[in-house]
Amino acid sequence: MNFLLLAAEQNTPFNYLPIALQLLIAVGFVGIMMGATHLLGPKRRTKDKLINFESGIPSVGNARQPMSVKYFLVAILFVLFDVEVIFFYPYAVNFRELGQEGFLAVLMFVGFFLCGFIYILKKGALKWED
Amino acid sequence: MKAIIAATILGVIMMFSSILMKDKKAIITIAALLLAVLLGVNIWDVMATKKGSNFTFLFNNMILISREGLWFNMLMTGCTFLYVLLSGKDIARVGTHTAEYFALIFFILTGVYLLSSYNNLLILFIGIEILSIPQYILAGSDKKNLKSSEAALKYFLMGAFTTGILMMGVTLLYGSTGTFELTRMDFIHQSSVNGMSLAGIIFLIIAFGFKVSAAPMHTWTPDVYDGAPTPFTAFMATIVKSAAFYAFIRLFQNTFGGISNHWTIVLSIITALTLFIGNLTAVFQQSVKRMLAYSSIAQAGFMLFAILSNNAVASQGIIIYAVAYSVATIGMFAVLMKLKDYTYDGFNGLAKKEPVLAFVTTIFLLSLAGIPLTGGFMAKYFVLQAAIMQGQLFWLVIFALLMAAISAYYYFRVIIAMYFKQGNPELHEPLSSGDKFMLALTCVLVVLIGIAPQLFLASI
Repeated sequence: MNFLLLAAEQNTPFNYLPIALQLLIAVGFVGIMMGATHLLGPKRRTKDKLINFESGIPSVGNARQPMSVKYFLVAILFVLFDVEVIFFYPYAVNFRELGQEGFLAVLMFVGFFLCGFIYILKKGALKWED
Repeated sequence: MKAIIAATILGVIMMFSSILMKDKKAIITIAALLLAVLLGVNIWDVMATKKGSNFTFLFNNMILISREGLWFNMLMTGCTFLYVLLSGKDIARVGTHTAEYFALIFFILTGVYLLSSYNNLLILFIGIEILSIPQYILAGSDKKNLKSSEAALKYFLMGAFTTGILMMGVTLLYGSTGTFELTRMDFIHQSSVNGMSLAGIIFLIIAFGFKVSAAPMHTWTPDVYDGAPTPFTAFMATIVKSAAFYAFIRLFQNTFGGISNHWTIVLSIITALTLFIGNLTAVFQQSVKRMLAYSSIAQAGFMLFAILSNNAVASQGIIIYAVAYSVATIGMFAVLMKLKDYTYDGFNGLAKKEPVLAFVTTIFLLSLAGIPLTGGFMAKYFVLQAAIMQGQLFWLVIFALLMAAISAYYYFRVIIAMYFKQGNPELHEPLSSGDKFMLALTCVLVVLIGIAPQLFLASI
């Protein structure tokens, strides 16, 4: 290990070797463990063992059915509020310096923002039962 | 300035009108009324600035108000007004969200106003985004149509990619000049003309080339224009494209004009390619809508001359070209929307069945081909004159004239189909007298631009 210590004293790409070794060992360990259990462990692949486990009750139908969670809408609404908050942080920091003009600008921003929000509410974005 | 705010607020009002009323006819009326108000605000803006007055800077020099820009805004709003009056009914036929379509058109106009008055590369970026994002939605507004969805997705992905290129160009320019502000960005010092800033300019050429569909960045155009619902194709191909061109010329003439020797050769190759590909591919199309998409690429080739020539005639030329091309194309698409069959055969025998429709179509096509006494001729005359005055583009002018001759072939094919072939073209609904009046008015406008182009330049 002497050469490793020697390398560590100089600032060369070579002194990243311990990190590379560490990485190799970590990945190798995980890989070997997973592979070994997979190969060594006993397997009984019967039809009953391969069906989905549903608390012992025989499963009904297919689990892969499309269902509407309106995820997209939730995501967009989240982004909307997220962006609003992003604008509020720098405003909060500069609250005093920006003064009245800054306050009016932020008020206008929130006003436009609320317009969009009221619009999407009126359009029934949060009415989920159909 | 007032127009930017008015367009936003009127857009929001338009959006809310969908909650208050369901009647499509009422929504179209409201849209037309609000557009009339917006046009009024634009005229007020123009009147408020004196002829020959200096620029006004706003918002920490981020926006530069010039009379020319306001005049351009007014003309484009006028074109939009004409467009809504001509094809409002067809917009309502696209889908259920009629009010939203109009609201998006108002937001696009906000983008147009920003692009005619930016003085900061970041405002340019925001303007282009405001211009583009509503278009992605409009392109896909016919949700059940697979082609429309394809058009929207394609346009969105390509557009987003180009935005990246635009941003990269802006970054490189900032890196070499140290400012986003166009009036402070000078290339007098040799130190700011280096590989970095030139690469930035090339990136900007590519990004603008995409927006105005110049070859070889034109590949999205036929699919998007063909797939998008026809009323929105009409809007995208005219007002939006003109606005992108106006932004293009403002940046390249005022800011990069001093170092034009560095980018002229690149842009002239792009121009030649655009003219060549646009015109030649248009010849082989079977669908008139797709032919118009390629023709819009070809017309972009002519508009690129204005940017290349980099002189005062060019900036007049781009305005005349924008108006002449927009009016004729809006008219042509309005005719197309009346027909059920978009192929050339769909036009067979139109002259017998609807003589008025056939006549106005002929005038629009003559204008697009650039025949004298129509707006298209004057537009081509201005930009080519500017190119000749520039001095070094004579070869390109001759090439452009040859290509214009080719364009006559595919425009005249429609005229031949209408007048000399037998057939029974199917219309969505018989022409009302209102339709006829509007088409005739558009036709008069096309001829007026051809006879008195100075009317459209008078008060700059």
